[in-house]
Amino acid sequence: MQEPILTVRHITKTYPGVVALNDVSMTFVAGEIHALLGENGAGKSTLIKVISGAIEPDQGSIVLGDQEYTKMSPALAKSLGVAVIYQEFSLVESLSVAQNVFLGENRGFLVSRDDVNRRAAQIFAEMNVALDPTLQVRKLSPAKKQLVEIAKAISGNAKILIMDEPSAPLSAAEVETMFAIIRKLKEKGVTIIYISHRLEELFRIADRVTVMRDGCYIDTLVTRETQRQTLINLMVGRELKEYYPKHEAMPGDVILEVKHLSGLGDTDISFAVKRGEILGIAGLVGSGRTELASLIYGVAPKDSGEVWIDGEKRDIHSPAQAIAYGIGLIPEDRKHHGCILNASVRFNITLSIFKQLARWGIVNTQAQKKTAGYYIEKFNIRTPSMEQRVRNLSGGNQQKVVLAKTLAANTNILIFDEPTRGIDVGAKQEIYHLMVDLVNQGKTILMISSDMEELLGMSDRLIVLCEGEFMGEVPKEKFDQRYVIELASGHH
Amino acid sequence: MLKIDLRELQKYTVMLILVVLMTLFAFASPYFLTLRNLTNIVTQNTYFIIAAVGMSFVMIGGGIDLSVGYQMSLVGVVTAMSMVIYQRPVWLSILIGIVLGTLLGLFNGVIVAKVRVFPLIVTIATSTVFQGISYIVSKANTFRNYPAEFLLITTGKFLNVPYDVWLTLLVVLFAGFVYAKTSFGWNVLALGGNEEAARLAGIKTTALKISVYAICGFFVALATLVMIAKANTTSSMFGPGTEFTCLTAAIVGGISFIGGEGNMLGLVTGVFILAVLGNGMQLAGLGTYAQYIVKGLILLGAVTFDEYQKSQRGKGHKPVPAA
Repeated sequence: MQEPILTVRHITKTYPGVVALNDVSMTFVAGEIHALLGENGAGKSTLIKVISGAIEPDQGSIVLGDQEYTKMSPALAKSLGVAVIYQEFSLVESLSVAQNVFLGENRGFLVSRDDVNRRAAQIFAEMNVALDPTLQVRKLSPAKKQLVEIAKAISGNAKILIMDEPSAPLSAAEVETMFAIIRKLKEKGVTIIYISHRLEELFRIADRVTVMRDGCYIDTLVTRETQRQTLINLMVGRELKEYYPKHEAMPGDVILEVKHLSGLGDTDISFAVKRGEILGIAGLVGSGRTELASLIYGVAPKDSGEVWIDGEKRDIHSPAQAIAYGIGLIPEDRKHHGCILNASVRFNITLSIFKQLARWGIVNTQAQKKTAGYYIEKFNIRTPSMEQRVRNLSGGNQQKVVLAKTLAANTNILIFDEPTRGIDVGAKQEIYHLMVDLVNQGKTILMISSDMEELLGMSDRLIVLCEGEFMGEVPKEKFDQRYVIELASGHH
Repeated sequence: MLKIDLRELQKYTVMLILVVLMTLFAFASPYFLTLRNLTNIVTQNTYFIIAAVGMSFVMIGGGIDLSVGYQMSLVGVVTAMSMVIYQRPVWLSILIGIVLGTLLGLFNGVIVAKVRVFPLIVTIATSTVFQGISYIVSKANTFRNYPAEFLLITTGKFLNVPYDVWLTLLVVLFAGFVYAKTSFGWNVLALGGNEEAARLAGIKTTALKISVYAICGFFVALATLVMIAKANTTSSMFGPGTEFTCLTAAIVGGISFIGGEGNMLGLVTGVFILAVLGNGMQLAGLGTYAQYIVKGLILLGAVTFDEYQKSQRGKGHKPVPAA
């Protein structure tokens, strides 16, 4: 078991202005599940790209088996049994599951559809999952796509499987399925390199954990001999106290009431939120949480139902109207829906209020700079200047820009959809504190999150959805992870 | 460490290319650098610049309008017929032309925004429609000899500079102002930068999209008036091809093919690069066909550079809006 299968030696990779990897050396042993842990920018992704040959390091070498390589290419890595599942799936949506599994495999000129389907079915049987190889990938859920990616990796006889944040798009139950598959692969002697932000997962699945920080190797620990807090401290490089801040605001009157709302697959959803409250919306992926947010925010038309704000019935047909009624959305897909990556921080923060900043159509740039500066300081947005492109900020700071944009529009009911996805631990803390500050100021928050711990830690009350249906409401006294998951899975 | 922003670099590169080209042609032909020739280059290209400004609204908003050429064809024959055949007053004919152009743009905009089809395909289709209408209306006739007042557009002078040059300057400054200072211009930048993010931020993207096509049509109509006044003749064949020059000039000048960015100075420089090339090659004895090849290659080169920049994004740190 202790036989090294992959060693990286003194890997250094610099980009203009950043050292992405600084003299990193570490060893992976055959048949282990080895987690890589670190905040965003710690160098995990760069390291796996070096291993898979996607980028070339400035210095250092990779030892695979008994051969040392200073130059690695994707093709070479693949032939040596290294497979990577990136966060963004690399599947051809228009092709079938089986075609994707064997994509790029050269088996002569003619291919038989039946043969490919049969072999794919075999692989899924080995993985112990039920998936029809003839289905078009486009029609699959993110979880199923993930399975196709894994099958694709296995079909190539991967000896080392690298998974970058594989659980991000998955629900709790789906993560279980994936874990079962990972354990099976491990039994067959496959080495798994597992990258995740979710600490609790690492404790359940990983044999060893390597912590990275600021492009440097920090330490490798045996998971079951390690405390959670130790890992957090190693990652952050400082002590983090109390994870979820508490707010002292007492919920006031009902500010938003949703009555029998239906649309986008959601049916008959009713609930009310009070001023100064954080209402958590729990559910698995595909349970209709984001769809609920879209209906309230006017992104898509509702089939039926009513939305009442401050005791008055409001017809909201567009995001512009929602904002006018004081509703703000911090979307799940920050990069594509939350901000304009190529525009400046200043431009993005004031994106919703160009009209308000303008007189006779001419924007008052002084007022604009003042607004941007105010939020940069208030939210501690780390950027060299307000002219910086948002693309160049870290995930956490991008999220703060999105939040600033939403608040600048003078909104007081804020819908946070997965507010901390892909954000590092330190920045998560900041986002949590910002949310609590907002509630203390009398704002109201609806929070959608797949991170159950975060949802229970932050919310005053929960509503649970399952497949577009309202499953129930859970008051704070009855918060219990297992209970909520059961509700979310459709059990009463 | 030194970071070079490609977009910033491009601004100067484009100017530099223009200077290099001019130097080159100055050596190739003694006639090139004469005041008369340079004046010609400017006055022959005013309508291209006005049309390119129109197209830039669509492109900065993330779209494209390939029907510009046949919009000009149709607006041209209608305006000319109004003056020559129907003997309508000049002011009314001008108004008819401008309203028609705006409506054609509006038509494009409504289809692109409501049907949500690729603007490339939509405007190729509408271009063919406009072409057909233009030939049916004109019955393939040519219309000449406009009233003297109409010809004033290009023959009239203020401070010894023709009216159309003033008009062009005004149009460019106006567009530059819109992008630098107005909420409308910034909304268009946001639309081109990321349509969905703009919509979720409360920007009325559908209306905005329709309006950029209508604005394009408006400027294209202005350009048409200048074009036919300068030629003192028009037929359905006048106009087509302009869209190619506008598109190339816009991309050479740094208006991204995928929207969200652009500056007017670059656009004007882009038009002049093409103009100087055409003029210089003509003087150097290279015919129209050779010019086609060179212009096509320039468009390819500019799009490649644009694409390259897309892949390199994130390394620069200048923000998009020039505001």
